Amino acid sequence: MDYFLQQLINGLTLGGVYALVALGYTMVYGIIQLINFAHGEIFAAGGYMGVILLSFLAANGLMETSPWLCLGISLALAMGYCAMLAMAVEKVAYKPLRNSSRLSVLLSALGMSIFLQNGLMLTQGVYDKAYPIAFTSGGFDLGSLHINYMQVIILSLTAGLLIALNTLVFKTRIGRAMRATAQDKVMAALVGINSNRVIATTFAIGAGLAAAAGIMVGLYYGSVRYDMGFVPGIKAFAAAVLGGIGNITGAMIGGLIIGMVEIFAAAYIPHGGEYKDVFAFVILILVLYFMPTGIMGENVDDTRV
Amino acid sequence: MKRILCLTLTLGLLFAFTAGAKAEVLKIGSLSPLTGPYAADGNDIANGVRAAIKVIKDEGGIEGYEDIVVLAQDSACDPRQAMAAANKLINEGVPGVIGAYCSSATMPSSEALMEEDIIMITPASTNEKITERGLEYMFRMCGRDDDQSKAAVKFMTDHLDAKTIFIVDDKTTYSQGLADNVRKLAEEAGLEVIAHDHVNQGDKDFSAVLTKIKRANPDVFYMSLQNSSSGALMLIQARRAGIEAAIVAQDAVYHPQLIQNAKEAADGVYLTFGFIDEEKPAFKKFKDAYAEFGEPGAYSGYSYDAAYILLSAIKNAGTTDAAAVKAEIMKMDYEGATKHVKFMENGDSGSNYVIRVIKDGEYVNYWDPNTGELY
Repeated sequence: MDYFLQQLINGLTLGGVYALVALGYTMVYGIIQLINFAHGEIFAAGGYMGVILLSFLAANGLMETSPWLCLGISLALAMGYCAMLAMAVEKVAYKPLRNSSRLSVLLSALGMSIFLQNGLMLTQGVYDKAYPIAFTSGGFDLGSLHINYMQVIILSLTAGLLIALNTLVFKTRIGRAMRATAQDKVMAALVGINSNRVIATTFAIGAGLAAAAGIMVGLYYGSVRYDMGFVPGIKAFAAAVLGGIGNITGAMIGGLIIGMVEIFAAAYIPHGGEYKDVFAFVILILVLYFMPTGIMGENVDDTRV
Repeated sequence: MKRILCLTLTLGLLFAFTAGAKAEVLKIGSLSPLTGPYAADGNDIANGVRAAIKVIKDEGGIEGYEDIVVLAQDSACDPRQAMAAANKLINEGVPGVIGAYCSSATMPSSEALMEEDIIMITPASTNEKITERGLEYMFRMCGRDDDQSKAAVKFMTDHLDAKTIFIVDDKTTYSQGLADNVRKLAEEAGLEVIAHDHVNQGDKDFSAVLTKIKRANPDVFYMSLQNSSSGALMLIQARRAGIEAAIVAQDAVYHPQLIQNAKEAADGVYLTFGFIDEEKPAFKKFKDAYAEFGEPGAYSGYSYDAAYILLSAIKNAGTTDAAAVKAEIMKMDYEGATKHVKFMENGDSGSNYVIRVIKDGEYVNYWDPNTGELY
């Protein structure tokens, strides 16, 4: 039982990371029907921003006195930076192609992904960069369960960001504009919604969430590397499709499912650790076979954000 | 018409230059992963060759050559890319290659180099099959995995008094070969192998398998991974999962980067690595030559020795003809930076594995399998 619960926590943590990254895929798709392949690299850039800022703060001795403040500052700055980066990517690579075929936008996204990854490699080097704090080592025992602070932070941050995102989409003006644009871009523009601004905002929000995930991953695993965005990017994309691309709750559920499947495959199936990625994608195929639009996807043409 | 004339002239000039420039430069190849997850060890290997070239030049260079350069190729620890890099070196006409790092890259690329009679000295590939294929010009500076696994298991039984062991590898030619060896020897020595689990290369999250280990509560957790980067990730998570087993790792995990990334999580980890006497003059000479590249990594010294041997052999042979150079290499009886080098018939230079431990952020010699004594 304890073993099961411990693995459940492992799965929730990993799933939370996937979910945060999956949100960016799903939101952008909901608005402009584009799979933003550069999203994984935004996540990596967030991880790097985190390590740069935290190292800087640590060098100035702020880390010992107020680690939580440092974490908060780094998180906010990295999220802001990645939001701007994503808006720039959108402006350069997607906006000029807005009325082109979907294939050319897709190619542009792939190109951007390669460009950003190489940019990270050339500016930050090919080695792992270690996070400067041992935040990650502390923990507490709950009965015979061992829970560490990092897992608590990841889970609560994921939950907090999801609530904030839901509020934003369903309770604010910009959220309403986003939903309107997702439903019918032309009509929304006719009634006075600035669709360019809405699209840029969507990119910014998704990127902010990915940046938060990048920092969490850096803290949780201890280091970041330039190519760290690729695999989680693919898995988060799978999670978004699994949950129903374009659906926010679906992205969360999809992320958690993929994370759980990976952990439980490794935990309970002999040699499951080697094939955990296979299991994750088998689940994806099975779900899509029976529910072509994903778990939360609706059977209508216009997907809703 | 004019355009065609221009073109022929330019091409003509180009050929004139290439034909005119006589090969006054000795090019030797290095083959190691310069990008990707194994870049740390890979760049150490290329830099080791550079340091050796510097020393050879300081000792008066090689007669008949104005300059010696290294063509550092990226193998990316990938069989296909290693083949492409080997073919590039063949086309460049190098007499010898130092590399590769991953056994899975060394195997195929060596076959290609042998067809062209090019000498290959691997500083880092420990898989025993490398020198068991009867290849004429294949040499090895480092030790072999069958010896490495012997040292590891001996340490577990004789010093740690272990009864149970849990093995994890990441499924590369090297890491799985070594883990299989350890498993076999451990069973022969009467240890109980609780499980032999695998993870994938490039995984970041090992929490599932580590929770499994925590539950199994073995005496020893044997960690066979392809590089220090995954090693650091695994150690941080292992400490976090509360694993109390003695952790024994191996030479691919051995790197200054491991301590930098894992910090205190690396303390108390045992590793098998070739014995290097850092006090002897030959090592100090290497360290000085290497200074411009920073601190020597795990394989810098082996790579330096390999390149130094290759260049000295070319120098003594007075030719780059493979058979003559091989004869010189076989003659050598030389006190290198890492070990005393005397090659055997199959191209091996012998293993001298010892157990080292990470203590206060430093690697220190800990236990000698030959004597069973602590250092």
